[in-house]
Amino acid sequence: MLFLAAAGFSQTPPKTASAKPWTPPKTPWGDPDLQGVWPGTDLVGTPLQRDPSLGTRALLTDQEFAQRVERAKKQSDIDSQETVNEVTKCDPTRGGLGNTQTTCSNGVSIGPPLYWDDRGKPNRQASLVVDPPDGRIPPLTPDAQKSAAARASARRARPCAATAGGCHDSWEDESLWDRCITRGLLGSILPSTYNDGNQIVQAPGVVVLRNEMIHETRIIPVSSNGAGRPHPSPAIRSWMGDSRGHWEGNTLVVETTNFNDQTQLNNATVSDAARVVERFTRTDANTLEYRVTIEDPKTWTKPWTVQFPLKRDAEYRLYEYACHEGNYYMYNALTGARAEEKRAQ
Amino acid sequence: MRVVVLAVAIFLLTVPAWAHHAFAAEFDLKKPVKLEGTVTKMEWINPHAWIHIDVKGPDGKITSWMVEGGTPNILLRRGFTKQSLEKGTLVIVEGYQAKNGENRANGSNITFADGKRLFLGGSNPNEQPQ
Repeated sequence: MLFLAAAGFSQTPPKTASAKPWTPPKTPWGDPDLQGVWPGTDLVGTPLQRDPSLGTRALLTDQEFAQRVERAKKQSDIDSQETVNEVTKCDPTRGGLGNTQTTCSNGVSIGPPLYWDDRGKPNRQASLVVDPPDGRIPPLTPDAQKSAAARASARRARPCAATAGGCHDSWEDESLWDRCITRGLLGSILPSTYNDGNQIVQAPGVVVLRNEMIHETRIIPVSSNGAGRPHPSPAIRSWMGDSRGHWEGNTLVVETTNFNDQTQLNNATVSDAARVVERFTRTDANTLEYRVTIEDPKTWTKPWTVQFPLKRDAEYRLYEYACHEGNYYMYNALTGARAEEKRAQ
Repeated sequence: MRVVVLAVAIFLLTVPAWAHHAFAAEFDLKKPVKLEGTVTKMEWINPHAWIHIDVKGPDGKITSWMVEGGTPNILLRRGFTKQSLEKGTLVIVEGYQAKNGENRANGSNITFADGKRLFLGGSNPNEQPQ
């Protein structure tokens, strides 16, 4: 199946995909119709940033692509072992995070089974970051570097940081993701490991974008002409910011500002100065090209852009995501840390 | 956790991408468990499914355990169905107990009695054809 998927991959460079002369259907009120379920699952495993050895090449060569396909096939073979055997068990001599002395005991890894994860389909895209041309996220500003270093140093200074489980003094030690709050705007749509469903629903003047993980939903006011309604006062801040959309031809352009300064992206803080511009373009019946540019002069020295195709999947279902109700992790981690403390006394 | 997930993506084969949260915070590597039990309930909940099993000890005493599973979406797309794990099905779980000492475990390896992996075969070998 992997080989079929690989053979079917479009070799069109991401940057030219939106130039295809294909006209999307319209909604009854005349807007381009982007509605449907568009999972990012196929992109799982495509690196966010490019391997520096690839330079400014946005696409893999035939040989590099063959290697990616081969790696994926090996992984698929291991994932689909019908019985647990020496291949599917962890091994401290093998290397990797799941195979260290602290994560692997008697051949059993403390991590979840391999088949918990989506693996994506191999494609030729060298990295999800397409601009700057080297596919790397630009350096942090000096201020952002300082605050990142201060955060890391404060983390390391806590005695709990040296324990296998890390720090769990309170719920505030858990990530925003673990707390069922958010993964941030970009984090909610970047392909990652599982629950990569995205759904678009439209009504006159409104586009609704729903991301499966943590059931994040943005209700975006969209104007048919011009730049749309202005953002609210800068005093109003939120996790996902304030999104306003307009149409440029058949492309939905969504500009988001008014972020709070508490979400993280690639280990850096998305500041209150961030402006995110997303472009959604249907390039054929089953492809929605997604392009997003992050400008955050307080955090990154230059804007940077991510682009990838989302594929329509009518079979994909987004299931109820009562995140807090199902989140046994919070209880297990906090009570586990208290039990550890008692044992240490 | 995103940073961890992205970092792991470039690691070697067979390394699980540690999804969503830190297993080492929940479960204790010093407490490996091997549980043989019968299913009493399957919780199909996000972000992770949980399998409830009753385990009979050497003294005949029954203890109830909860075993963490994957996200329902992946399990269902891998062919698992509501009928795959009916009440009374015998499963064998290799994993680690919760740090808090409760009868909760991760299920690094979960198999049916014949050694077949639970979520890959997609069906219980002991299941009677309908």
